Amino acid sequence: MTAMRVDAKVVMLGKESVGKTSLVERYVHHRFLVGPYQNTIGAAFVAKSINVADKVITLGIWDTAGSERYEAMSRIYYRGARAAIVCYDLTDSSSFQRARFWVKELQTFEEHCKIYLCGTKNDLVEGDRGARQVDYHDVQDFVEEIGAQHFETSSKTGNNVDALFMKVAEDFSNSALELLPEEKGVNLGQKKNSYFYTCCHH
Amino acid sequence: MAADVHSKGVTWDTPNGNLAPVEHLPSSRSESPTPGLVEGTEPGGGEWVEEEVEEKEVEEKEVVEKTEEQQRGRAEGEGSVNEPKREVQAVVREKEEDVTSDAWRLHKKHVFVFSEAGKPIYTRYGSEEALSTTMGVMMALVSFVEADKNVILSIHADGFRVVFLRKSPLVLVCVSRSDQSDSELWRELHYVYYQILSLLTLPQLQRVFQQRQSFDLRRLLAGSERVTAGLLRLLETDAGLMLNATMSLPLCSTTRNNVCTSLQIASSKNLVFSILLAGNRLVALIRKKEQHLHHTDLHLLSNLAASSSSFRQGEGWTPVCLPKFNSSGFFHAHISYLEQDSDLCLILVSTDREDFFNLSDCKQRFLERLKKRNAYQALQEALHSPTYPVSQVGIPELWHFVYKSKSSGLYTSPELPVPYHTEEQQDRLMELYQHLHSRLHHPTRPLRSIYRSTNTENLLAWSTSGFELYLCFSPLATKALAMSAVTKLLKWIRKEEDRLFILNSLTY
Ligand SMILES: Nc1nc2c(ncn2[C@@H]2O[C@H](COP(=O)(O)OP(=O)(O)OP(=O)(O)O)[C@@H](O)[C@H]2O)c(=O)[nH]1
Ligand SMILES: [Mg+2]
Repeated sequence: MTAMRVDAKVVMLGKESVGKTSLVERYVHHRFLVGPYQNTIGAAFVAKSINVADKVITLGIWDTAGSERYEAMSRIYYRGARAAIVCYDLTDSSSFQRARFWVKELQTFEEHCKIYLCGTKNDLVEGDRGARQVDYHDVQDFVEEIGAQHFETSSKTGNNVDALFMKVAEDFSNSALELLPEEKGVNLGQKKNSYFYTCCHH
Repeated sequence: MAADVHSKGVTWDTPNGNLAPVEHLPSSRSESPTPGLVEGTEPGGGEWVEEEVEEKEVEEKEVVEKTEEQQRGRAEGEGSVNEPKREVQAVVREKEEDVTSDAWRLHKKHVFVFSEAGKPIYTRYGSEEALSTTMGVMMALVSFVEADKNVILSIHADGFRVVFLRKSPLVLVCVSRSDQSDSELWRELHYVYYQILSLLTLPQLQRVFQQRQSFDLRRLLAGSERVTAGLLRLLETDAGLMLNATMSLPLCSTTRNNVCTSLQIASSKNLVFSILLAGNRLVALIRKKEQHLHHTDLHLLSNLAASSSSFRQGEGWTPVCLPKFNSSGFFHAHISYLEQDSDLCLILVSTDREDFFNLSDCKQRFLERLKKRNAYQALQEALHSPTYPVSQVGIPELWHFVYKSKSSGLYTSPELPVPYHTEEQQDRLMELYQHLHSRLHHPTRPLRSIYRSTNTENLLAWSTSGFELYLCFSPLATKALAMSAVTKLLKWIRKEEDRLFILNSLTY
């Protein structure tokens, strides 16, 4: 698996058009695509290396499609993930309901996956406070309750995007050691499902 | 995992075809891959104009029967189809379009999809909500005729025709102002139907409506509007969807062989098809032994890849059903571009949904090998001129042609010359070809050849058991010249065939 040396699997989850792809585009390719919105089909994988302290960590990011059609497939994307960035659109309250759904799903099936709740399109509510449909403090309460992290970002301006992924990488780096023995046990126990690890851990 | 019919459900020997009445190709690519120039029937004298063919294909008989039903089921009197007004259609559908406006009415081709409960699923123009009454009326019409144990197939009225396709639990309707025939429009509706199946599979589609008749399918199709819009546009621009064929990218045989063998070697246990595309042109196709990729499935895949920029972001991984191969299960496709900003798109189709990293590795190996053999550079260069000027053939007054080799299911066509540089003119030429095509393949009176002269161009279409050929000449050309041109063109194609076509059909 030459080209695919990945340390940590990161999955992007959230309702369609909340801005998952834009977030990854901004972080990986430093750009924001304008023009008609193009739904992700299935999922897209991209690897990105990042320096944490004196180590290089490669994140393998799975950008999933928000469409309900692919919901049945979602498990293969978050299984074994070390971090899930659950996105909601700050200007769309229904997208936060969907985010709660994903949190529940992760808590049930992927207890070792760290959750990062990310309110997107921050630029839209910055200029126009009335546009905000999801209250910051409500989310903060929820985040504390579930022991997750909370970010608000804008892929358009780049605001807070690097910080989000940096935090993901740091948390992974700090937890990598302590998790290692346990993970081996998991691998042995579910040999069939360990395919992602076979290329993630070398 | 209700939505995922896994690989175990995929049987390899599913017969193709019985879902599609208009099917002229054997479903498999021929084992003898040479373009079928074998026929060699030279056109003789003036008698070849509108010469009728005796034998008809089975599928066409099916259509004939339907046409009889149609006589009984017809709700309105027949009217002649007038030359419709030209209108250029944008790929991106305008959701907000006012459905009561003249502009909406004047669209050349509308497509509606709804459920048997009359619930809107898709409309090409405007929003489904605004058109729910219209679709309700259409469903009422369908039910009314069916109550009499009859089937409504089409309505011909002044200047347009309405064609119905019944594919339980869906109804598809096309309202067309073009002069395409009913069977051409059915073929297009079938494409839309297969497009829906490719996203859902037939069992899933049936299941959701069994569970709830009033299910809103738009929920499951959300995000596929661009794919469908792209497909409808492709039907108007790519002759391959009309011809049941795929365009091949012209490539010198050394490079092609290098590409093909590199792709062949980069295999993996569950890989079924490896497809390299440049836009909608096929560069190479490798398949598992005994397995054949139907051109419809190939068009659906290539349209899917072109429909979302998400495949440019990284490596795409998506379940996809190839309805002509097997409408009841999902394959899993690894879709990516060879490099950022490259036009070369690689689609690797596997039966295993956990195969992503294996396929990613296949891609890497393919790319490395290509580069090592300098084939990547050659391929990139070939992309600079993905087509050729018609002047290469050296026939005066010949403006354009489309040549399909029936045995390989591939077609070749030169670039469009000056008179066809606007989208409007290109659409017009395609429509002329489509018209000729529907004459050649008329369900009751098929023709072997047809010559048509207009103020703007002279056209000739000719079909044999080996090939199908459409030629477009300047208005100055004569019938005699056209006939001698055919011989010359066939000779030229024969000479160039290893560049124009993919002659070897490789398996892993
Ligand atoms: N103003 C603004 N618009 C954004 C931002 N992020 C995304 N968008 C817009 O929101 C729309 C959807 O963005 P995507 O990133 O494609 O959404 P997605 O979550 O990947 O959607 P799916 O792939 O369908 O699940 C696009 O039109 C983007 O331009 C942002 O930070 N600010
Ligand atoms: Mg996306």
